[in-house]
Amino acid sequence: MTNMLIIVFAVSLIYLSVTERFRIYAGLVGFQGVLLFGISFLQLDRITLATVIFVATETLIFKVVVVPYLLFAVIRRTGVVRVHEKALPSFYSLLFVTVGLLLSIVVSFSMNTTPYNLMFFIVSFFAVYTGLFLIISHRKIFSHLVGFLVIENAVLLLSIAIGSDIPMLLNIGILLDIFVSVLILGIFVMRLRQHTEDLTILKDD
Amino acid sequence: MLTANNIIIGFFSASLLTGLLAGLVRSKPLIRTLTALYAAIHLAFTLSAWMHKGETALGYFTFDPLGLLLLSVLSILAVTTIYHGFIYVKDDPPRVYSIYHAALIALIASMTGAYLANGMTMVWIFVEATTLAVAALIYHDRSAMALEATWKYVFVCSVGIALAYIGILFLGFTTRDARLLHLSFSSVAGIAKLANPLYLKIAFVFVLVGYSTKMGLFPMHTVTVDAHTVAPPPISAFISTTLMNVGFLAIFRIYELFSATSVLTFMNHTLLLSGFLSLLISAGYMLKAKHNKRMLAYSSLENMGIVAIALGTGGIGYYAAILHIVLHSFAKAGLFYQIGQSYKVLGTYNLDESGNYMNLFPSGATALLLGLLCITAIPPSGMFISELLMFKALVAEGNFVLLILSATLLCYILYALLTRALHIVFSQPRSRAAGVKVTVSPWQTVSQYLLFAMVILVCFSQPVFFRDIVNEIIKNLPR
Repeated sequence: MTNMLIIVFAVSLIYLSVTERFRIYAGLVGFQGVLLFGISFLQLDRITLATVIFVATETLIFKVVVVPYLLFAVIRRTGVVRVHEKALPSFYSLLFVTVGLLLSIVVSFSMNTTPYNLMFFIVSFFAVYTGLFLIISHRKIFSHLVGFLVIENAVLLLSIAIGSDIPMLLNIGILLDIFVSVLILGIFVMRLRQHTEDLTILKDD
Repeated sequence: MLTANNIIIGFFSASLLTGLLAGLVRSKPLIRTLTALYAAIHLAFTLSAWMHKGETALGYFTFDPLGLLLLSVLSILAVTTIYHGFIYVKDDPPRVYSIYHAALIALIASMTGAYLANGMTMVWIFVEATTLAVAALIYHDRSAMALEATWKYVFVCSVGIALAYIGILFLGFTTRDARLLHLSFSSVAGIAKLANPLYLKIAFVFVLVGYSTKMGLFPMHTVTVDAHTVAPPPISAFISTTLMNVGFLAIFRIYELFSATSVLTFMNHTLLLSGFLSLLISAGYMLKAKHNKRMLAYSSLENMGIVAIALGTGGIGYYAAILHIVLHSFAKAGLFYQIGQSYKVLGTYNLDESGNYMNLFPSGATALLLGLLCITAIPPSGMFISELLMFKALVAEGNFVLLILSATLLCYILYALLTRALHIVFSQPRSRAAGVKVTVSPWQTVSQYLLFAMVILVCFSQPVFFRDIVNEIIKNLPR
């Protein structure tokens, strides 16, 4: 079941890299939050109230509700609904992402991942690749933001791979990370709405 | 009783209290008093920390030589930065004034935590905290440019820090036990020797790329360059020195942990490549930059490149790296304070609009020339010694190609920096500045002369205690 959810997560990454509508971006980010909740819940060795609350907070509350809500709010406020300018057409994006997936598989297989589940490594590497690809290949801030959120999801997926006995400090780190992503969304994107085309005031000339 | 635990608890409680008060009150004299008091608390804390050298506090903090050395640099620069900050924000509205000082206190506390953290996860948490604090400071002027720089800083730092976090997670994979992730550096060092080298390499690359956002090193250097352009000059001084030292410390900690393993050569090559590319980019953009603060930002990139090359070369290069990072902090902070004053006198940061500075403000112009002398490592600058040691290490390693390439790029950077500085000081402006010109008291340059004097003194004599501390820092690294 865990592997199934991880594969669906990988498919959502491929979809993210080729889509052009911001509503789909926001929806997919929320959907990935649901998948991460399912994966982390299935990985729990002991189900206690504290762990369930923690997992639900960082996935269901933040990644499924708060982050997509803010993304949709940004779409409403800016009125920008789709990517107008990409460095690459969708076909080439698909090609690059497929190469990324293959690379992730090769790198993960070349590592001795025992006793950890290999799938976590493949999809985490792939998510980092996709996130960076979204940031590099798009001009709009919104796409950059989605790229960052995908990298955040990769971090969470990799931390789930470590196991359910994850130290409290790591949990604090992950929560702090989520807090920063919400902060970026909540404050800066709202203020930057007039400048969503590109940011080019600062340059050397 | 002043135990290690008590002074840590006392310091962070005092930071929280003064930071909150500075953020809540609107009386400028009261905020000034609180911030000055905080600088005194930080100095007292640093002195107490030295008295507990080698001890661990609460399990999460350690008073090791590198942390203490960088903490001392922070304590000194905190005093000068707070002083220049008082001057810079004196006419700001009370709300902006209080946010500035609250964020500054938060930044100093976060950097202190990062220096003294006794594990990669703790370092990471404090580095993340520095991003949040410094974002509020970069956005100080509330302009479109400030918003863009803040956005870029927070965004790129967050991506970088997320990548660094993946590196830290890989430490957990190498040890096959996630619970070991919160262990001290020394505990992890023992386990690293038994780890899969591929995991260590991946961890190092992620940590290097991630923390290069803070160290201002290639490939994530752009973020600090933009931040410098718009941040208030005293904050630029902090970003370019003590905050870069945080990035250096995080990378150095991992380097030290893995140095006894088979990945040492890989780490050295990666550092040499990153350092060389930093020098190359700095040289490429130095002549293109028309903004006086951006010019200094590229100089920081150059100096971090030198530090990376020195560290990656090894041998005497380790000593050179530590010496360079300390001296660069003093020289660059002084230069940023000075460039802030030049803005007031000339009414611009634009190179073409700058000029005739020696006639308008002789004390500041002399400080600018002295600072340039220090940062470009021209004798009697102490940075001449650290760069000489770096070249000596390259010769010892037989790395003549990198030596020639680095020397050529440094000559180019020297030419670019000096022609610009001499234009600002002696030439007439090429075009008229639109900004308002303000008179600056020569007494405000005293702190800069003191910082430059420290850099110059090291060229003639390095204090014994300083040499001992640096040798203690590098004693675990392979010879």
